[in-house]
Amino acid sequence: MTGPSTEPEERRARRGRAGLRGSIGLLGIVAKRDYLRTVRRRGFVFGTLLLPLGIGFFMTLSGFVSGGGLGIGSPDGPGGPEDFVLLVANESPLDLQPAAPLTPHVQLVSREEGLRRLGAGSAEELYVLPSTYPDDPTLLRIDARAAAQPLGGLQRQGAQQHELALLIQTTLLRDAAVAPDVVQRVVAPFTAIDAQTLSGAPVAADPSIASFLLPFAFTMLFVLSIFITTGYLLQSVTEEKENRVVEIVLSSVPALPLMGGKILGLGAAGLTQVVVWVLTAAIAAPLLGDQLGELSSISISPVTLILAVAYFALGYLAYGAMFSAVGALAPGSREAQQYAGIFGFAAVVPLIFSGLFLADIESPIVTVLALIPLTTPATMLMVLTLAPEPPWLLIVASLTSLALFTIVATVASARVFRATLLLYGVRPSIGRIVGAIFARG
Amino acid sequence: MVVVDGVWKRFGNVDVVQDLSFDVRPGEVLGFLGPNGAGKTTTMRMILDIIRPDRGSIAVFGGAPGVEHQARVGYLPEERGLYRDVPVLDTLTYFGALRGLPTAEARRRATRWLEDVGLGPSMKQKAAELSRGMHQKAQVVATVLHDPDLLIVDEPFQGLDPVNAEMLKGVITAQRDRGAAVVMSTHDMADAQTLCDRILLIDKGRRLLYGRVPDIQRAFSDGAVEVRGGGIPMDPQRYRSVSEVSVANGSVRFLLHSDASAQAFFQELAELGAAVERFEVSTPTLNEIFIRTVAGDRRAEAVR
Repeated sequence: MTGPSTEPEERRARRGRAGLRGSIGLLGIVAKRDYLRTVRRRGFVFGTLLLPLGIGFFMTLSGFVSGGGLGIGSPDGPGGPEDFVLLVANESPLDLQPAAPLTPHVQLVSREEGLRRLGAGSAEELYVLPSTYPDDPTLLRIDARAAAQPLGGLQRQGAQQHELALLIQTTLLRDAAVAPDVVQRVVAPFTAIDAQTLSGAPVAADPSIASFLLPFAFTMLFVLSIFITTGYLLQSVTEEKENRVVEIVLSSVPALPLMGGKILGLGAAGLTQVVVWVLTAAIAAPLLGDQLGELSSISISPVTLILAVAYFALGYLAYGAMFSAVGALAPGSREAQQYAGIFGFAAVVPLIFSGLFLADIESPIVTVLALIPLTTPATMLMVLTLAPEPPWLLIVASLTSLALFTIVATVASARVFRATLLLYGVRPSIGRIVGAIFARG
Repeated sequence: MVVVDGVWKRFGNVDVVQDLSFDVRPGEVLGFLGPNGAGKTTTMRMILDIIRPDRGSIAVFGGAPGVEHQARVGYLPEERGLYRDVPVLDTLTYFGALRGLPTAEARRRATRWLEDVGLGPSMKQKAAELSRGMHQKAQVVATVLHDPDLLIVDEPFQGLDPVNAEMLKGVITAQRDRGAAVVMSTHDMADAQTLCDRILLIDKGRRLLYGRVPDIQRAFSDGAVEVRGGGIPMDPQRYRSVSEVSVANGSVRFLLHSDASAQAFFQELAELGAAVERFEVSTPTLNEIFIRTVAGDRRAEAVR
């Protein structure tokens, strides 16, 4: 019985165990039903397939355009294509001598031969070093086409001019009797930098594109999952309120397992979507290797991965509980979206400070963001991937704070969920919400 | 089956339920009556463990209301609906599963029930595609699908067309006849009088009346007798048992002295040569009792 009870201890304990078993069973039924219902929606299927289809489209388009001469990035030149012809008609007194490693695309021709090849369509440009060169540093370029160059043509011309400059530099240095190894250093002053700290210890490897993008990819994945699942949670809770189904459901399932089932089922749906996207990216990365460069060879340490999963799971539970409560207390779906936006913003805050993360990972602001539970997951996902060594003290402190907050948020949200779910079309007062959170029993 | 003992519930500064006690027995329909805002729905939600009382105790099937009893309870709330974009059969299967039925069994029972109430051809349609009457039938099915031992129905006839209202009355009666306890809140006193074995009348969360319907009617009877026929003397002085005579709806209404019996009065009429065609001890309807009690309670409160 509720209130004062004379029920024997053993019987009460037995009933408690039966109640727990029943609650877990009901949680499972709600989770399964919400999961299946969500993944069968047309919107979900479309949204899930959008990324794979988008990547497929990108690959097709990329392959098509590359075939026409457009490439993306090259380690050899300043963003130019690797496959091009550099026709040079040398009428100057310089003795140009192309060499394969530095100037592999140069073909020395006479002006007449060059013009003939332009006319035949086997080349697009002819560069002429006039007889006045080098006294007059102006060169002549003759284009096969009169129209403005498309993007691919501009890239090619950039690469051609880079290689032509190297050809002239090496020639001038050689004519000045500079030793070949000095020539080599002039055209390529350095190939790597070894960095050290004040104590002489090696600094982590040079920042690469992957090391910049990985933390953002992780954080974006978290934020994306939060927003996707939030959408499903709000939709599910407000739909049950608006359809007037919620009271029938609540008479069968207590508030906590109902909320838990929704968080679990819809979280699983959100994760299904994210897993499909991650798998798609994993499959596509080797195929897109040339275009992605270093991104295709990303690797994460197991410790980082385990910690990332812990932050991800705790963060998701905390946000899921709060969004369930938001869905319950909002009078309608529109208001629910507005209220949820406030919490959703907190998840994105660390991304606003991303410049700071890159500049100084040990900044006090980073520490504060790591210890505020709502910003902990996104902050720590970035810290884990950016810090050279796991900052264990911060990890323990932030995990503890996040775990405690998750427990408090879940209990408080369940109370708000229970107290406000049956208020149809009414916005509960702050006093009532606070009263529900601190209510006993 | 249900014992509510000294229950209080406060929302904000208002005591919505005040020291309320009653019980519900197997095989009976308890009519839960009261004006809007009397605390009926709150009390029902407390029995269902949707909300908890601040004070007092509630026992359902001998224990506290809770998840372990949910499978034995059926609930038809006042605010009710179905998932609009889900086939009706799927929704009922889900509700059945939440009430402890294995999914296959819930589906089998839902199919049989839907066929019984004439929704067989529509069971795979989404709720949004059904008429309001069809919705109502499906909601009733959701309430009794799992053969509950305790049925709680909140304003069940509200918004129902006469055909569906009769169908629902049949369902409630059938559930009672198979031994289930039924708690039914209603504003319709005629329905309450027809269906309820006992009634509980509350206002502002307080119990005003509680008991068997005939007992309450008798308690509210003023001892009047209505007679129809010929040669009935209209002068009260000619009767030993009568204090007042009036005419109402074609009948002569006699108010008897408090120590007089209807049987003695009938003999007097015969002695006076009246040709009696109809003789009836007047009892107030539940509607009259409701108005008299609630109005009287409010008058008393105004005086206090």
